Amino acid sequence: MDSISGLLGGFAALANPETLLYMIGGFLIGTFFGAVPGLTSVLAIALLLPLTYSLDVTTALVACASIFMAGMCSGSITATTINIPGAPSSMMTALEGYPMQQRGEGAKALGHAALGSMIGGSLGALLLMVMAPLAADVALLIRTPGKFSLIAFALIVIIISQRGSITKGMIATLFGVMIATIGIDVVQPLARFTFGTSVLVQGIDMMPLIIGTFAISELLIQADSRSSRTVDPSMIQAAKVRRRDFIPPLSEVREIGVMRYLKSAVIGYAVGILPGAGGSMAAFVSYAESMRSSKHPERYGKGNPEGIAAAECANNSMCGGAFVPMLTFGIPGDPTTAIVLGVLVINGLQPGPQFMTQQLDLIAPMFASLFVSALILIPLTLYLLGPYFLKIVSIRRDVLYSSIAIVALVGSYVATYSTFQMALALVFGVLAYFLRKQKYPTVCLLLGFVLGPSLEEYCRRALSINDGNPSIFFTSPDSLFFIALTVVFFYFMVIRKPKDNSLGTPPAS
Amino acid sequence: MTSKPSSRQSTQRSSLGGEFFVPAALALITLVYLISAIQLGPPMKGGNMTASFFPIATAILMLIALACAMVHALRGKAKAPEEEAAANAESSDDAPRRRQYVGLSLGAIGVVVLTAGYLLAFDLIGYFVATFVYVLLLTGLFSGGFREKWLTKLIAAIVITVAGYLLFEVVFQVRLPTLWSQ
Repeated sequence: MDSISGLLGGFAALANPETLLYMIGGFLIGTFFGAVPGLTSVLAIALLLPLTYSLDVTTALVACASIFMAGMCSGSITATTINIPGAPSSMMTALEGYPMQQRGEGAKALGHAALGSMIGGSLGALLLMVMAPLAADVALLIRTPGKFSLIAFALIVIIISQRGSITKGMIATLFGVMIATIGIDVVQPLARFTFGTSVLVQGIDMMPLIIGTFAISELLIQADSRSSRTVDPSMIQAAKVRRRDFIPPLSEVREIGVMRYLKSAVIGYAVGILPGAGGSMAAFVSYAESMRSSKHPERYGKGNPEGIAAAECANNSMCGGAFVPMLTFGIPGDPTTAIVLGVLVINGLQPGPQFMTQQLDLIAPMFASLFVSALILIPLTLYLLGPYFLKIVSIRRDVLYSSIAIVALVGSYVATYSTFQMALALVFGVLAYFLRKQKYPTVCLLLGFVLGPSLEEYCRRALSINDGNPSIFFTSPDSLFFIALTVVFFYFMVIRKPKDNSLGTPPAS
Repeated sequence: MTSKPSSRQSTQRSSLGGEFFVPAALALITLVYLISAIQLGPPMKGGNMTASFFPIATAILMLIALACAMVHALRGKAKAPEEEAAANAESSDDAPRRRQYVGLSLGAIGVVVLTAGYLLAFDLIGYFVATFVYVLLLTGLFSGGFREKWLTKLIAAIVITVAGYLLFEVVFQVRLPTLWSQ
């Protein structure tokens, strides 16, 4: 009963005008960043991170949740209208949305995308509210050796989910782990890798790493582009949509069917729980399953609303699932939840098994924000702003990227009021630029950095319990379970790779 | 006639550079890291891991992965010279723009230099002047110079500078350095 009233309290918190303003503002920012090709909701949340120093933690989490939800669905705007997915999670939507746009049904395709996102996002948020407390109870059973094996499992799955570039995934992850070891040792008071400088004794802060990896590196990559606007204005003329056409016909919704929506939401939620999978994987798996189980698979790829519904329902449902491991185990599985973890850590909070019960009043508004963003803001934004979407996302690149540079750099300054953090952001930005140019997944760098210290700490604690004997990892049941799970995942994802099908290889996160 | 092969050669070299030299540079960093880790002391003491164990293990794994990446890069280049040549032909239109120095494009070098200058100026001359000049130069860089719409760029620089100040100093109450507070 306490948890139910706590969760309801989260909805009541949204009635606070300031919190509501941040939720709506976050949603609009997320929509913009998700829709503009090249920008992502991760970048939006990364830019928000420095501002959380001055924000109330609940307000910051509410804004993060609405940005996350908006970023997942808004990629469908440019995916449908001009065949350029605003976010990787909308690649499958482009397969069906753009052919519909070419038939003059672009607005209807966007309507189906919004409906799918609305249903998937709401169900994902509801499942999060129901399942997270249960997962927290299970997390209480996991002891130190099991925690090590769980984090190792998460890191290994993140690496092997980088299809086609496992070595690069491993390098990026290990590099993140190496950066995380700079500073005071996790167990004893000993400074490591400071190279005689006092500024490194405190270690590397998460903020310059995030700002550098996601914002500065994007500036460096965008500096190569010749176009003056984010979206070619000539495309806008060709992609006009009308507000009344956004409402999908009931007959088509019936044809898609309640079960398809439910199944896609469950698939998205389950994929979200997996480390490293992300929205693009959720959309791919759900789309493939929808095509497999469809009565008319031949219609896929030619503008079938079923495909749009399945992909969008899953990638928005993924948002709810992604929060489960972060809140219950303190293990983020994707960059967005890693940044949300950063927001919590900045405010002196450490997620874990008892976090849900002890800090429900802080977390519940974030759950409510996910739910309300999906159920109300997605359809409302489409209806109100839909006809102007392309005009909004077609803005001058010089103004956009100069603004991002200022928010990113001055934001880095906020943490310690020192230009050293800004310089670190620049260094990490250049580093991430090189990594991205050579297709190293920078997401792995961030997750290695976030999970590395816990991996080391639990490894050393577990070994000290057993006098340095590593057999404890194989005799402890919880640890053994995660080792077995790692083997199973490795078998299915690396040894017995999914066979190529008509959709090609699943998109990397 | 002679310019095409030479341009192909140079692009091939720079392409190999990225695939090979990024892991090579990381390997160099990892070696420095490994030496520092070893200097921390023995990895095990009294049957327990010390502060150096985990970094040493990480560095060794990293070096193995980097060696694999470098070998893969060398093998890949040996196998696919034709693909590379096709890619070169495709990108020949953008050749002047995509010329690279130490793996960085001209645009990226511009952003790095401007940002480094901004960081130096930020504490020295304060938020307003440093940000205005930085934004003005960035808008020029992102739009290919100041020959067109310079007035718009000037106005954009002023608006972004003032908006940044309002966001950080007024809304989020972050104390930014100013010329008069030095």
